[in-house]
Amino acid sequence: MNAYLPGPDRPGDAAWAADVDLERVWIGVAARVWRRDTGPVERLLGRLLRSPGLARALLATPSLLVPWLIASAAVFAAGAAATVGTGTPWVGLLAPAIAGAGIGYAYGPGVDPAYELSMSMAVSDRMVLLARVLAIFAIDTALGLGASAFSATAAGVAFGWLIPMTAVSGLALAVAVVTRSANVGVAAGTGLWAIAVLGGQAAAGHPAAAVSDRWLYLPYLAVAACCAALVLIRTAQPRRSA
Amino acid sequence: MNVELSDLTRRFGRRTAVDGVCLQAGPGVFGLLGPNGAGKTTLLRTMATVIQPTSGTVRLLGRDPGQHGQRREIRRRLGYLPQALGYYPGFTVAEFVEYFALLKEMPAGAVPAAVATAIERVGLADRARSKLRTLSGGMLRRAGIAQAIVNEPELLLLDEPTAGLDPEQRVEFRALLREVGQRSTVIVSTHLVEDVGAACSQVALMNAGRLVFQGTTAELTSRGEGHGIGDAPLERGYSAVLATARA
Amino acid sequence: MDDDQLIARAGRGDDAALRELFRRHAPWLAARLRTVLPAADVEDVLQETFLGVWRGAKKYRPDGAGGWLWGIARRQAALHIRRRGPALAELPAAAPVAATGVDPAEIALVRADLAAALTALGPAGSPERDAWQLLYLEDRPVAEVAKLMGVPAGTVKSRAHRARRLLRSALQDGRPAAGGAK
Repeated sequence: MNAYLPGPDRPGDAAWAADVDLERVWIGVAARVWRRDTGPVERLLGRLLRSPGLARALLATPSLLVPWLIASAAVFAAGAAATVGTGTPWVGLLAPAIAGAGIGYAYGPGVDPAYELSMSMAVSDRMVLLARVLAIFAIDTALGLGASAFSATAAGVAFGWLIPMTAVSGLALAVAVVTRSANVGVAAGTGLWAIAVLGGQAAAGHPAAAVSDRWLYLPYLAVAACCAALVLIRTAQPRRSA
Repeated sequence: MNVELSDLTRRFGRRTAVDGVCLQAGPGVFGLLGPNGAGKTTLLRTMATVIQPTSGTVRLLGRDPGQHGQRREIRRRLGYLPQALGYYPGFTVAEFVEYFALLKEMPAGAVPAAVATAIERVGLADRARSKLRTLSGGMLRRAGIAQAIVNEPELLLLDEPTAGLDPEQRVEFRALLREVGQRSTVIVSTHLVEDVGAACSQVALMNAGRLVFQGTTAELTSRGEGHGIGDAPLERGYSAVLATARA
Repeated sequence: MDDDQLIARAGRGDDAALRELFRRHAPWLAARLRTVLPAADVEDVLQETFLGVWRGAKKYRPDGAGGWLWGIARRQAALHIRRRGPALAELPAAAPVAATGVDPAEIALVRADLAAALTALGPAGSPERDAWQLLYLEDRPVAEVAKLMGVPAGTVKSRAHRARRLLRSALQDGRPAAGGAK
């Protein structure tokens, strides 16, 4: 592996300084030249989480990358505009779908090509999962609240979507983990949510029923809890099942 | 002893993948041979703390992987190359190796030099800042080896590491194994019997979940004298032992 | 690929080019620095030198890679010596540093330059080196040198001429040429 270390090239050259460790010198140079610049956000996150590895894994989440965040913000903004325009609380209807997609694409064999390897890491993949889910949920909540405030919808709808959001997110994640496919998970989560919204419209006559009907809160939370349990069992370490 | 497996059994539903394996390994390079489906990968995954045994005891680096805190300590000192390692296409080689160095909780200040050393040791220095999607299969495998050795592991587990490497690279890889094996335990699971012969001091042969041979390469070779099919002495020993086990 | 091309590529961010530059030039730079600094300090200075090469490569104009590289190494060595104290560089105790007010780091590095340039004359016993030693170091007249070396005076003069030429190009280029030119 040390093919780069030559002996004296030319006979007339100055004497080879045998006690200078050129390999060590090159490693010092390469370490600086090859290193990745960690941005201030990552360094701060590393100190807050007391784990540079967890910070790096968090910022490398596919659904936390800047293009995704911009797209999410754009969808929320469109939802706010549509709410103002049509009176239907689009923000509340979109929020669970966006969070479900984000969380479905955050973790698991469907989205992480090195999933097997990540299960042998000191920063456990469960820790990474938890950090990612919380981060995406927090970001989408903040975006959703901002969009709701902007479109000034009724209080019941402005916050009510948080609960179906946990259910849809949990569902997307659980299906993604079980089927080992993020796409299937996200499709399941958003698909079922679409059905719930349409069902709510058919049953109660207005599309926001899925979000504002308080009777649904308990079932939503039950779904979220079951999905969380399923994910916890599936990610138990070391794995009980292959 | 870095690895102490006692009566290790692992079942998946009704299928028994690993059946009562007893293994002890200190520093050195150990080959793990066997046909497809023999349970080598399951055994390696158990030692990599990815799955836990159905029964039996496992002690790795003097610690119990069933305990959360001790498992974390094991994982900091572990290197693992799975058989099918995916890669992040947009990462460079250096970013890829660095990612796992950080996840192994190496002190952040030591990471750049460790990453540079690992990349040099696998001969990828010219591609350190190339994106993984531009690399050939053999280079990707070497990047995988680099992430496995970046933390100077005390226990290095390699599942089919030489897939895609040309003969010259395999020679360099075996030299790397011998170097690492001086201080650490290296366990290499491979189909290629000649890889084993050249680099390993001890060999274990698995068949249908059981360990049917454990000893030096010379001992395996001697089992093949007279009977056994194969072009090389070690291959003959391998097939002779398997034939006996299946009888 | 020649050195100028390598440096140009390094200036464009090609780290493999930097690695090849290191492979080619680190040994002689290390050897030259070693004449004035202990091994551990040579390592530090060499590392800073090549980081300096990496940073400065885009501003390089092709006019002698060896001299450019040694120039960077020299600057880094001087910085290093000033930071750590002049006792680091191997100076003889009698060096009149205080009197002349010259930077001791500079003195050390000039000595390194000269020592390296001298190797261009070839090993001890080669004609140019002997001629140089007798004529200029020992300050003997040409006739005496001719007698000592057992060659005609004209040969002594042409050897001296060659020695001056070799030294001049070695000092200008910054890098010792292959020794013992004919």
